[in-house]
Amino acid sequence: MSSAQIEIQLIASLVAIACAIPGTFLVLRKMAMISDAISHSILPGLVVGFFITENLNSPLLIVLAALTGVITVVLVEQIQKTGLVKEDTAIGLVFPALFSIGVILIAKNANDVHLDVDAVLLGELAFTPFDRLLISGVDIGPKSLWIIGFILLITVALLFAFFKELKLSTFDAGLAATLGFSPAVIHYGLMTVSSITTVGAFEAVGAILVVALMIAPAATAYLLTTDLKKMLLLSIIFGVFSAISGYWLAHWLDASIAGSITTMLGVLFFVVYLFAPSKGVIAVMYREKQQKIEVSLLTFLLHLKNHTEESERHVNHLNEHINWQKVRSKTVLELAQKNNMIAINNHIVSLTKKGDEFTTLAIDYIMTNEDAQIEDMKDDFFLFRG
Amino acid sequence: MSKSKIAVQVDDLTVAYNYKPVLWDIDLEIPEGVLMAIVGPNGAGKSTLIKSILGILKPIAGSVSIYGQPYEKQRDLVAYVPQKGSVDWDFPTTALDVVMMGTYGSLGWIKRPGQKEKKAALEALEKVGMLPFKNRQISQLSGGQQQRIFLARALVQDASIYFMDEPFQGVDATTEIAIINILKALRKANKTVIVVHHDLQTVPEYFDWVTFLNVKKIATGPVKDIFNDDNLTKTYGINYKVSIQK
Repeated sequence: MSSAQIEIQLIASLVAIACAIPGTFLVLRKMAMISDAISHSILPGLVVGFFITENLNSPLLIVLAALTGVITVVLVEQIQKTGLVKEDTAIGLVFPALFSIGVILIAKNANDVHLDVDAVLLGELAFTPFDRLLISGVDIGPKSLWIIGFILLITVALLFAFFKELKLSTFDAGLAATLGFSPAVIHYGLMTVSSITTVGAFEAVGAILVVALMIAPAATAYLLTTDLKKMLLLSIIFGVFSAISGYWLAHWLDASIAGSITTMLGVLFFVVYLFAPSKGVIAVMYREKQQKIEVSLLTFLLHLKNHTEESERHVNHLNEHINWQKVRSKTVLELAQKNNMIAINNHIVSLTKKGDEFTTLAIDYIMTNEDAQIEDMKDDFFLFRG
Repeated sequence: MSKSKIAVQVDDLTVAYNYKPVLWDIDLEIPEGVLMAIVGPNGAGKSTLIKSILGILKPIAGSVSIYGQPYEKQRDLVAYVPQKGSVDWDFPTTALDVVMMGTYGSLGWIKRPGQKEKKAALEALEKVGMLPFKNRQISQLSGGQQQRIFLARALVQDASIYFMDEPFQGVDATTEIAIINILKALRKANKTVIVVHHDLQTVPEYFDWVTFLNVKKIATGPVKDIFNDDNLTKTYGINYKVSIQK
């Protein structure tokens, strides 16, 4: 690997981490689309900043662009507050308006500079190593690396300082307010960090990938864990994994790095969406099938318990009586037998002691819904796992 | 309760959504140590009243004091149980963690909860009978269990005044009895408990103080004195001739 290759991967990874952190909270706050709005509407801020400083790496540029990001959020909220349109409509109204102002400004004034709409949308990760930061003539690395590194440092510091406040206000803004943690302060803090991160990542990876890096890793992590800290950590891991594997995919396909990273994010989400242990599509399907069998088993056992007369418990009679298909009856009969819950003598089915106890317990649980009684059955039966 | 202190005082409170008043000139004194129900029809402003007292909503007129001081200075004395439906129960966190959130107020900004806070949270879980579920993800709890978690979160604040917004909404009978027993124990400890309540039948059994509300305050006082057909009719607007056992 050349040093340029290492630098690109390093920048992509830092961008991924810086995006995953606010992204996790945006996903939990059901504000994923706000990141889309911010990423587009910071354009006029960038352009105006560029006109003033004539330098694409000026801190003023970042400040102005981040400010436009926050203004976007305020505008969306103000329009929504009128009650005339819903939030998604408000988002759809605000960011194209601001973005188009940026596009017009570029077209009118900046045709001859390195600020063009393509670069804004897709980024130029491949070129980032060429733009070096020189301090008294000494090359200390790509400028993008320093910018995103600095932003990441601030984001991580804020996360550690205000993790408790972020968690509380995201979960229960009402309680946060009564305890004296102003949800508005935390909300705008998060919006400011999201805006700054977007600006910082913008030049490297472009407006579209920024959104993907904020939302996809968090959405993927959400399917795998029930712990906020683990969700943050997984988001970061998924982001970095996609950044590096995406880079090599682009290398191999000789295609856009930004596009390849986004593709990897999509692939990763899809794989987890299918195979996640408890929330994944396959796991859910399997669980539903098991539950169906278990309900059948219980129905069958209950029938046996309710009928002491032998005629009701004859194998052939059971088929027509419970009104099941032969296959299903067979599955249930075998399952019950395998678990020593029934005994068959002369084609007459009867409950064993174990079967009888199990049925009583299960019915009891279903009637009272008292969890304590069923704890030990949960390992064997999906039905009772809530 | 002889000549007790005033825990919560509301003066001339008016709250409006988009200039339409939902609470109109409310004067209310809640004495210390009562277990009070706020009753009234849908849209009467019951939740709004609580939220305004707690500073979640800004009134357009009037003032609120908690033991003679504005709410901002008395946060430590107040615990709040919001409506269960006000949060996303799919949030990635456990029962214990939600209860720990009750300790955040006393910690203030930045400081993290430690062993002391964890111990308090475990005790509160024990009180509501939810200790076996401490590590359960909150979406894996039943509605009644979620409500108990919210109650534990308020208990951990060790406050003097508890505000609860419909704690009996959608809970099973066992949980309802468990909750009311805890509320009665709080009253015994001379805490003030204010509950937005829907089930008129249980008012005389559960509460000793009641406020009738329908945009305006209709009446407030001891259940045995004012919980009658007259006030019910004034509040609910229909001829309320159910004789409720007192």
